Amino acid sequence: MSFRLRRFRSVLAAAAGALLLTLVAAAAPLIAAIYGAGPQDTFADDLDAYGMPYGIAGGVSTVHWLGLEPGLGRDLMIQIVYGLRTSLTVAAPAVLLATALGTVIGAVAGLLGGWVDALLTWLTDVAIALPLLLCAIAVIRPLELAFYGPRDAVPGTFRMTVLIGLFGALGWTGVARLVRGQVRALREREFVTAAVALGAGPGRILGREVLPHLGPPITAGAALLLPTFTSAGAALSFLGLGVLEPTPDLGRTIQRSLGYLQTDPAYVIFPGLALVLLVFVFTVLGESVRRAFDPGPGR
Amino acid sequence: MAFALVLAACAACTDNPRGGASPEEDPVRQPTGVIATDPAASRGPAPETAGAVPGGTVTVFRQTALARLDPQRIYSFMGLSISQLYARRLTTFADDGSGKLTLVGDLAETPGTDVNGDCRTWEFRIKENVRFETGAPVTARDIAYGIARSFDLTLAGGPTYLQEWLSGTPQYDKAFDFEKDKAALPPGVEVPDDRTLRLRFPKAQCDLPFAAALPATAPVPAAADTGLDYDRAPVATGPYKIEGRTGDTELRLVRNPQWDPATDATRHQYPDRFTLAFGADPVAQTNRIMAAQGPDASAVSFDGVPPSLLSRVTGDPALDPRMLRSQTPRLTMLSINTRRVTDLSVRAALNRAVDRESLVKALGGAAVARPLTTLLPPSTIGWHAYDAYPKSAVDVAGAGELVLAHADDAEGQLAATSLATGLRAAGFTITTKAVPADNYLPEIQKADNPWDLYLDSWAPDWPSGAAVLPALYDGRSINAEGGNNGTSYLDARPLDAEFDRIQALPIDEQSPQWAALDEKIMREYAPVVPLYTELTCTIRGPSVGGLFVDSVFGSLAFVNAFVTP
Amino acid sequence: MRRLLSRVAVGLLTLAAVSVLTFLLFFAVPRDPAAAMCAKSCDSARLERIRAEWGLSDPVPVQYLSFVGRLVTGADGCPAPCLGRSYAGGEPVSDVLAHALPITVSVVVPAAVLWMTCGVLLGTLAAARPGSLTDRLVGALSLAGLALPLYLVGAVLLLILVYGTGTLPPPGWTPLTDDPGRWAGGLLLPWVALATTLAPGYTRLARAQVGDVLSADFVRTAAAKGLTGRAVVGRHALRASAGPLATLGALDVGAALGGTVITETTFGLNGLGRTVIAAVRADDLPVMLGAVLLGAVFVIGANTIVDGLQAVIDPRLR
Repeated sequence: MSFRLRRFRSVLAAAAGALLLTLVAAAAPLIAAIYGAGPQDTFADDLDAYGMPYGIAGGVSTVHWLGLEPGLGRDLMIQIVYGLRTSLTVAAPAVLLATALGTVIGAVAGLLGGWVDALLTWLTDVAIALPLLLCAIAVIRPLELAFYGPRDAVPGTFRMTVLIGLFGALGWTGVARLVRGQVRALREREFVTAAVALGAGPGRILGREVLPHLGPPITAGAALLLPTFTSAGAALSFLGLGVLEPTPDLGRTIQRSLGYLQTDPAYVIFPGLALVLLVFVFTVLGESVRRAFDPGPGR
Repeated sequence: MAFALVLAACAACTDNPRGGASPEEDPVRQPTGVIATDPAASRGPAPETAGAVPGGTVTVFRQTALARLDPQRIYSFMGLSISQLYARRLTTFADDGSGKLTLVGDLAETPGTDVNGDCRTWEFRIKENVRFETGAPVTARDIAYGIARSFDLTLAGGPTYLQEWLSGTPQYDKAFDFEKDKAALPPGVEVPDDRTLRLRFPKAQCDLPFAAALPATAPVPAAADTGLDYDRAPVATGPYKIEGRTGDTELRLVRNPQWDPATDATRHQYPDRFTLAFGADPVAQTNRIMAAQGPDASAVSFDGVPPSLLSRVTGDPALDPRMLRSQTPRLTMLSINTRRVTDLSVRAALNRAVDRESLVKALGGAAVARPLTTLLPPSTIGWHAYDAYPKSAVDVAGAGELVLAHADDAEGQLAATSLATGLRAAGFTITTKAVPADNYLPEIQKADNPWDLYLDSWAPDWPSGAAVLPALYDGRSINAEGGNNGTSYLDARPLDAEFDRIQALPIDEQSPQWAALDEKIMREYAPVVPLYTELTCTIRGPSVGGLFVDSVFGSLAFVNAFVTP
Repeated sequence: MRRLLSRVAVGLLTLAAVSVLTFLLFFAVPRDPAAAMCAKSCDSARLERIRAEWGLSDPVPVQYLSFVGRLVTGADGCPAPCLGRSYAGGEPVSDVLAHALPITVSVVVPAAVLWMTCGVLLGTLAAARPGSLTDRLVGALSLAGLALPLYLVGAVLLLILVYGTGTLPPPGWTPLTDDPGRWAGGLLLPWVALATTLAPGYTRLARAQVGDVLSADFVRTAAAKGLTGRAVVGRHALRASAGPLATLGALDVGAALGGTVITETTFGLNGLGRTVIAAVRADDLPVMLGAVLLGAVFVIGANTIVDGLQAVIDPRLR
């Protein structure tokens, strides 16, 4: 009992953490306004001749709570707050998209069976075999050319939208697999067979008889997508393929900071902790959700 | 992991007090260049390097693998440096590392003879006893063959001076089809006997001895030419030859016993071997050399100390003697597209408004870059300092919205962010536009590109104004597809005569004239905002010596390198 | 046997789809690789010559078909499967891949042994005593491990173990056949870093699987019959959970063999992952296609193996 309770408590803590991080991300502009520094404000006068911040731990002060970025001299805390915002703005809609796609594809494959099932299963194979990085590089440029003139600034939200689409387009396979399995199991059950016998069409069967039972597998399949997409987004930025300057981004900030591990460790620790915390909190939350909803044994 | 975090957290508390020691400014290195008139200067052996002993292995770190070894296709800084070890050319620079440059004959007995005194016919007499690694003697025909194969577009990538000068047209491949008859010689190339090479040009080319110092004049035995695959194993003439490579990970050079020091005025053969190690990033390179364990003790970083580690490296006095720091001739400017920004007052205002201080800080500070207000780099023979547009408040009326294009790699983003911030502070309306890094150069080199401002850089191929000003600002070479090497597309008729007049002068009279033209172009046209010259700042292991930063390209020079046991 | 054959046929079909998609993605941008190959002072006549030489003036479907043709039947001086030459410099693509693949394989295979062994061992240990301190510690550590990005772990490990204390040699690549000691020494850190980030998944899976099995009736019976704890875990629990673990393992290894970009970038190894990225950035279609196809072969191969394994483990699937 006490073990259960402790687990419940940790879930509560994770949920509270997730809520807090989401609030911080949502309120980023408000925080910046109160704090008194925007994401594009530079404080080059607070840097020495090498571009390193003056003061303790990378320029931590009452004005700059987490110090400054070396080189450009932007406020690190505001970069992190806005970076969280970027991460979640990409990951959350991507989860919805991937889940929706996975549900539809999985349900159709499971319900219709036969060659449709084989085709969709094969499509899953293709989606897994296509490297995400390659698609990221290959897709961003033509889309940018299609939507923006050569002299138009491309807003940060555009790259974020592309990433959402990309994660959605390649991340649906897990949900699809779970849903397909569940639907196939349901198809054999009496109430579905009965509905078919009564002459109900596939759409009706899907809507009335099958969908209501799909909540648990969908939730279980989607639960860990948020931390997965958050990590993947940061990894893309780490490789220079994610969101570009001047849109703040955790992965890019960490990538730039790693070289400063010896000269300005605080610059690595603060954004690093923020990313680890973000992924950790949502992993704990996702694990508990999945455990609660998983239809099968084990994972 | 927790341990690491605690460790890092403690280190994080270190203080960086205001008013601490600033990095000392390196003096401007002003080269004095001459072309050796005394044939003795072109004879070997090269003077011994102080403290040098034979033996050992020098390791050279670089992140990306060296792509080209084929002397006719080399054009990267590392290729230019490393090829000195295995590929001898017609001429080469004797360089003491402090700016005193002398152009001497390398394979040739002298740095070239201007037969008629009109810079149109140049003759080179090939030294005796220069051999390929196979033992075969190097003949004028082998050098002529090397020049001929550089006309082949399949083997493009190297410099194009000789091809364009010989054929008299930028479309040199139409003037000579190498594929059709590989035994034929390109127009203007003559080999009267095995030891004489004569080059005839339709126009005066007074800079030829300089251009002949590029590895494109290295000899290639026709029988060994395997086309694209020659790149893997070029036949050596220098003190080292290629032993082998491990993919994109390692390239090994070993001593070439056929090299005769008596024929070589600039090179030595101290270490047993050179190993080029590819893959590690500049942070890893610097850290490994600081730690100096095992073979890393005789290693040197080609990429240099990254800005993020500068304060660590320069803060350690013990490392000071192991630092190699020098100015380079590499220029970075904010090109102004003069076809779009036609108003000189706007271009002048951009020059007055730019914040070079913040830009240099963003890039890593005074050890990485030095602000510049001239078109020529300080390493040009005859350069003089001036600032046509000192920083001041500006009137931005009439400027409208300006689009600043930049490469989408880390450095491009950083520089553009910093520049845009500075220009906006001065009142300009700036839009930044990220262009995929691999496409960036071809895009800005299109004469009809849609942007107003963009970062561009240039490294002259020899330390003369002739390798900068006509190359970047001669409007006559702009055509429909693109243009000269510059990206401001300045097309000013009054300058044409100036370029022609100075280029026809004897080489030693040109320098002051180029410097004067530099200031004239800047004051009358302001086609770019000069930003900075790069500084080389790199580190070597404690047991490798004789390395220096060359005065021509600002890269590491390996010809005097040695390893102490 | 028939199942295997059909599986291979589907695999080939997947490869074909991947190659078509790569081709389409590449040409989705109106781009001109010839312009990049054209020397300075390029003009339209020269562009035409280069396009003709590389077959770039053909329509994209024709280019694709000639690519497939070369792959199947080979070409002049390039035996099948011929992947052509790199646009950037003319090196045969097979050479480029042959240089990069041993590096990636050397990173992935030993790392996989490490991450699976450690992961499963820890998970089993935790499952053997549910609710114990070990269980909770393993649970917390593996969750943290899931959240730690490899590039961060790698940079810290490098700083401490290589630059700081000098305990480990700097990461680098030496062919196994040249010097096994240097080979292992140079790759130790990548193995550890990769294992640190991938093992937690196995720990959690093993914990859940073994936990489920241990609480199942037949295992309780076995325990009641007097089998020791170790025998129960070894004979029943691990065998029962081998299927899902092997599935995850094969898929992870398959994906990693296609290129571990982050690991390769962090430790400065020029393996397949970096090769793909560099090729895509340089618009080098032949290298890009070759590397993507090689990666896809691994992923599809892993999928096929997983199917086979499941059939062996679970006879109902036969």
